[in-house]
Amino acid sequence: MKRVTYRLPAYLLIIMNLLGFSLLYMANDYQASVFYVGIGVLALFLLIYSVLVICRMGDKFLVLIASMLMTMGILMLCRLDIVMGARQIVWIGVGSIVFFLSYIVYYKIRFWDKLWFCYAAAGVMLFVMTLVFGMTVNGSRNWISLGIIAFQPSETIKILYVMFLACHYSGSWNRPFLRLTPMLMTGAVTYLYIIFLVLQRDWGTILVVFSIFIFMIYVYEKKPWFLFGNVAAALVVAFFGYKFLYHIQVRVGVWLDPWTDISNKGYQIAQSLFAISSGGYFGRGLGNGAPDYIPEAHTDFIFSAICEEMGVFGGAAIIILYFLFSYRCFKIALNTENLYNKAVALGLTLMFSLQTFIIIGGVIKFIPLTGITLPFVSYGGTSIVVSFASMGIIQAISAIEDRKGAVRIER
Amino acid sequence: MNVNKKIIRVLIVISTLFLALLSYLMFFNLFQAETVSTNPYNRRQWDEERYVTRGKIYDRTGKILAETIEGKDSVKRVYPEGRLYSHVIGYCSQVYGKSLLERQYDSELLGKGDIDLFQGDKKQGFDLNLTIDNNLQKYAYGQMNGKKGALVAMNPKTGEVLAMISLPDFEPDAEALEKNWNGIVEDESSPLLTRASQGLYPPGSTYKIVTAAASFENGLQGTNFEDTGSFKVGSLEVENYNKKAHGTITVEDAFRVSSNQVFCQLGFDLGSEIILGISERFGINSALEFDIPTAKSKIEYKKMSNSDSALVAIGQGQLLATPLQMVSVCSSVANNGRMVKPYLVSSVSKNNVILSETRTKTLGQPISADCAQYLENLMIDVVENGTGSRARISGVKVAGKTGTAENESDKDHAWFVGYAPADNPQIAVAVVLENDGGSGGDTAAPIAGNVIRKYLGM
Repeated sequence: MKRVTYRLPAYLLIIMNLLGFSLLYMANDYQASVFYVGIGVLALFLLIYSVLVICRMGDKFLVLIASMLMTMGILMLCRLDIVMGARQIVWIGVGSIVFFLSYIVYYKIRFWDKLWFCYAAAGVMLFVMTLVFGMTVNGSRNWISLGIIAFQPSETIKILYVMFLACHYSGSWNRPFLRLTPMLMTGAVTYLYIIFLVLQRDWGTILVVFSIFIFMIYVYEKKPWFLFGNVAAALVVAFFGYKFLYHIQVRVGVWLDPWTDISNKGYQIAQSLFAISSGGYFGRGLGNGAPDYIPEAHTDFIFSAICEEMGVFGGAAIIILYFLFSYRCFKIALNTENLYNKAVALGLTLMFSLQTFIIIGGVIKFIPLTGITLPFVSYGGTSIVVSFASMGIIQAISAIEDRKGAVRIER
Repeated sequence: MNVNKKIIRVLIVISTLFLALLSYLMFFNLFQAETVSTNPYNRRQWDEERYVTRGKIYDRTGKILAETIEGKDSVKRVYPEGRLYSHVIGYCSQVYGKSLLERQYDSELLGKGDIDLFQGDKKQGFDLNLTIDNNLQKYAYGQMNGKKGALVAMNPKTGEVLAMISLPDFEPDAEALEKNWNGIVEDESSPLLTRASQGLYPPGSTYKIVTAAASFENGLQGTNFEDTGSFKVGSLEVENYNKKAHGTITVEDAFRVSSNQVFCQLGFDLGSEIILGISERFGINSALEFDIPTAKSKIEYKKMSNSDSALVAIGQGQLLATPLQMVSVCSSVANNGRMVKPYLVSSVSKNNVILSETRTKTLGQPISADCAQYLENLMIDVVENGTGSRARISGVKVAGKTGTAENESDKDHAWFVGYAPADNPQIAVAVVLENDGGSGGDTAAPIAGNVIRKYLGM
């Protein structure tokens, strides 16, 4: 009986891919390339899933949910530009390798909780590198170019940051450093990162990092003044940021009213809302809309493009998928007994869900817009690879717990 | 507290965030999406236009009022009558969007839902056939002579709008509109306001028709009043036009000479409940359905007292009505007390094949046929022997009522509402001249009279 419960979503995934790509195939004047892309995607997903089930690598739903999200993303990307869609599949291929690698590495090594200094130092190093070698894309200086490959270090830093925090919260790091207790150290590192991120003007990542920090303090810290102190500090900084930083003023301004300056500052958000409002409940149909009117439709604004062609219900489906994904991750965090793994699982879960909330909330004008990618759906190598790596870690944590449970039962 | 318990709380917070996203998305789609998607900056609206030739608009005789002409690489919406229909058809601009019929009937003009598969490379949109009579519209436009105000003429039995003019107006041609936009928007006389259906005016003495209906229903016909030239109750004092005292007169006499004192007294004696009740039966305080947007005619009091109803009884106070509303009130008198829904588009067609047709719709019966007959006699008397004499036409019995409405400015609005022939009504007209300064009988009545004469071919 238990098997059926996770086979059904697998069948749904197959049906979704078949229907989606058939539709795209017809809408694209029967281009053979669409056909190959579709076959490739489905084969890749089934391969990852089969390996997962056969090797008993823990939770079986995470990959299925992520695959469904990626399917929606790839359908939209192929519809926008088939070459981009194909490239995304290559990234997913790379991502799945990284997924298994991070799974194995995380699974095998058991001294992750001793390395707090390495995580913090690596993070700072990546930041310094970004500032020195970085290039500016869309107003944020958060890309490093290494010859042919360019990547966004801030995505990687988020994982390192979560692992750094977990060292303290698991209790394995309890010695003061430079006379600062670990608790104060986490605060110091967080604010240092935020200063780096301000220099890069990567407001979205600031929001993600800081909210993770606040939630983690809430769960783990015994001293309430530390929580309230940090929240108060955030409010003060936000207030002064709004008072003195032009960038933040503009963002809040267009959030409150994008319509008075549609052709200029409010352009992005207005185009996004036009797309969503034109789609209605069921969308204009894959290939019938005009998502190319939305700036950055393939990355930050992919949710609006999906809403236009697959409808508000399509958008709601995405939100619900992310919710299921988060819920699954939360469950893993709750069931884990190892304190370090629990903290890492919680941190990464928060990373996924907050990032999703911030970008979807931004493009539908629920909260001010800050540009970050939508995990698994947006186009982009770094985003896909990092999402896969994080999922690999959560997968490993669930597998460790499963094995333990199995051993216990055998005894 | 246990860590897992706290994690569950965090899970609840995160779930709430996701739920908030979902709800906001649904809220946006339900309540804001329509306004947002029709924003002229949304380029999607014009995408379909590239594959469709926008439909034509005809008057009731088949004269073209709007058509799309395709050049080699340009598409142009042409209005052969220029400004004449700027407040009926509206405009259609890539920069400023669409208005009035061009907007309300956008999907018909674009031929949406057309199942004809065998078409050329460009689809043909549907055509609109209006109830407007182009000759009458032109004539009425000339009669208004550029004065600020509005004129609505309709068939009182069917609701077909025969002519509808709002002034000042504008050049609806897209190119001209885009060039003059700033001037038009900043102009203090608001040329973009469709006064006929959206202009809210105090109706003045024309509203005495409604008060007279209430007095009939309460059995007050033939009652004598002592007219001293001014009505006083508490701090309220209302004078007759030109402060004239009429002596001992009946309600019917008071209607003919338009005595404010007697009608204020009626409004006061009948009380706010009765006056508000009959007004609402005539459609005040509810939106009037129409083919282009309308403003809601209204009586706005938090709590209406009897001295308020004294003012409403003569069409002043917190009472505001559109010319379209007043022509509907007048039409229900003409139509034995039945009020019909006014309409502009008689049918939608393609290549002269009618796809859908508008039928006359009765909105209600505000007054009985007896009451309508009583009011008709009063209104005939106004034109034959009273303030409306300048609307008289030899050989035709015209029924009407004049009005001179006070407003915030020191220049009154001149009103006339009326219909003819009284025994078999063919046309009802409402005219308002905004801040004209003259009396309704002197300035508005002749315009209405001429328009009626023209239509009846006398």
